[in-house]
Amino acid sequence: MAFNPLSMPLESLCPICLCTLDAYIYEKGVNTYMHKECLEHGVFTTILWRGDSMREWIRTKEGAHIPNPITKVEKGCPYDCGLCSAHRQHTCTALIEVTKRCNLNCHFCFADALDGKSKDPLLEQIQFQYESILKVSGKCNIQLSGGEPTVRDDLADIIRIGKELGFPFIQVNTNGIRLAKDEDYVKALKNAGLNSIFLQFDGIDDAIYKKLRGKALFELKCKAIENCRKYGIGVVLVPTIVPNINVESIGDIIRFGLSHSPYVRGVHFQPVSYFGRIPKAPSDEDRITLPEVMECIVSQTNHMVNLESMQPPGCENALCSFNGNYLIEEGVLKPVTKRSCCSTNIEKAEVGANKAKAFVARNWSYEKQVQDEKLSDWDKILSAIQNNTFSISGMVFQDAWNVNLERIRDCCIHVSTTDGKLIPFCMYNITNMEGKSLYRD
Amino acid sequence: MKDHIETTTAWVCDKCDKALVSQKVKVRYLEGNFEVDLLKCPECNMVFIGEDLALGKILEVEKSLEDK
Repeated sequence: MAFNPLSMPLESLCPICLCTLDAYIYEKGVNTYMHKECLEHGVFTTILWRGDSMREWIRTKEGAHIPNPITKVEKGCPYDCGLCSAHRQHTCTALIEVTKRCNLNCHFCFADALDGKSKDPLLEQIQFQYESILKVSGKCNIQLSGGEPTVRDDLADIIRIGKELGFPFIQVNTNGIRLAKDEDYVKALKNAGLNSIFLQFDGIDDAIYKKLRGKALFELKCKAIENCRKYGIGVVLVPTIVPNINVESIGDIIRFGLSHSPYVRGVHFQPVSYFGRIPKAPSDEDRITLPEVMECIVSQTNHMVNLESMQPPGCENALCSFNGNYLIEEGVLKPVTKRSCCSTNIEKAEVGANKAKAFVARNWSYEKQVQDEKLSDWDKILSAIQNNTFSISGMVFQDAWNVNLERIRDCCIHVSTTDGKLIPFCMYNITNMEGKSLYRD
Repeated sequence: MKDHIETTTAWVCDKCDKALVSQKVKVRYLEGNFEVDLLKCPECNMVFIGEDLALGKILEVEKSLEDK
């Protein structure tokens, strides 16, 4: 073969039988790939990184210690998730799936949710899950997800339970349809303590929504954002980026976000991953990698955002995401982050987790600012920062083809299960080609 | 930048033996530029930041600009 294996061996899974496989990463031209072989199901190679050397992006971290692991190491990673004692990162965000129902039928959905008649978990069950999170992970950030959480009429009660238990930051992951149509509902969520929504937002063009979500939704997205502005709820725009559908919309999405700042707090890009039942293995052309998303951000904003302002994360594994933090000055983004040129230092994962938790809670929330001339200079500065910060980030989820178990062990986004366990997000969602999962019910 | 407020305080500059005055001072942190009232020696322009301020509002501003 015409490639040079690097000294980057790792463990992955077979996308057919989900057994662990030895894998390695190799470079070919400027691209980086994963290669693995299952004795029964053959060889799999997948693109991981197109462009600048992936090795330079990696941040070495000293793994965190989980003080109260729920599960023991018995079968080995990734079959003991819970979190187990070999996990290397604390919970930054814990996800609770409050329903399996949804009011859309998207072509791309990691949750594989449908407008089914499945029963929602009772409030007592959700309270148990919050309490389980609290025991293992303390007062981390919470994301209520699904399904579509807003199909529940008692979502405000769910938020209130979390707030009463002391969780400082609660975000709802939503398509925004109900928030657009039901202002009283938005008001009730705010009154219950909702800080932020993670709004599915794939572009500013209905052709994109028709392709990805099955119907025109742009007007509803705008209305949902307006209602969040009215009641003081932060909005993070979350585009799923799919090759040949909305890659060219990346700049438009950022400009749209900026024009709706400060209530739109930032944009969080999610390059498409492949979960659920699919007829054939995704080809490399079906994927867009993180450096490509960053390149698109730079070129499509005409270099208003520069490459160096986007940096690898200190919390999760470096290969999972990028983030940039900015101040808006006269409509232009000025970077607050700067990529370090000497990243040979080993950082502590725990420190990264604490910083990321605080950043998300602070930068993705929104409170309407009161104009007060009596504010001190420093309070005016704090208020100006709160009004003018804007974040641009991206996270690529792993699927059965590109999964790297080291990234799973470094994961800080954990899904709470009905029996009180915490499963790393990608491990919870990974399915084999037939849609079979190791952890999702 | 001409000062807006100029009041003398109990603090005295050790080097110049002048009473510090409260004046607008330009502060720069990361890419942010701010202007705040701080105690300053009218002679050598050295700025005094007390512990309460350093560990209070200034720390808060620093944290609010920190990233992940």
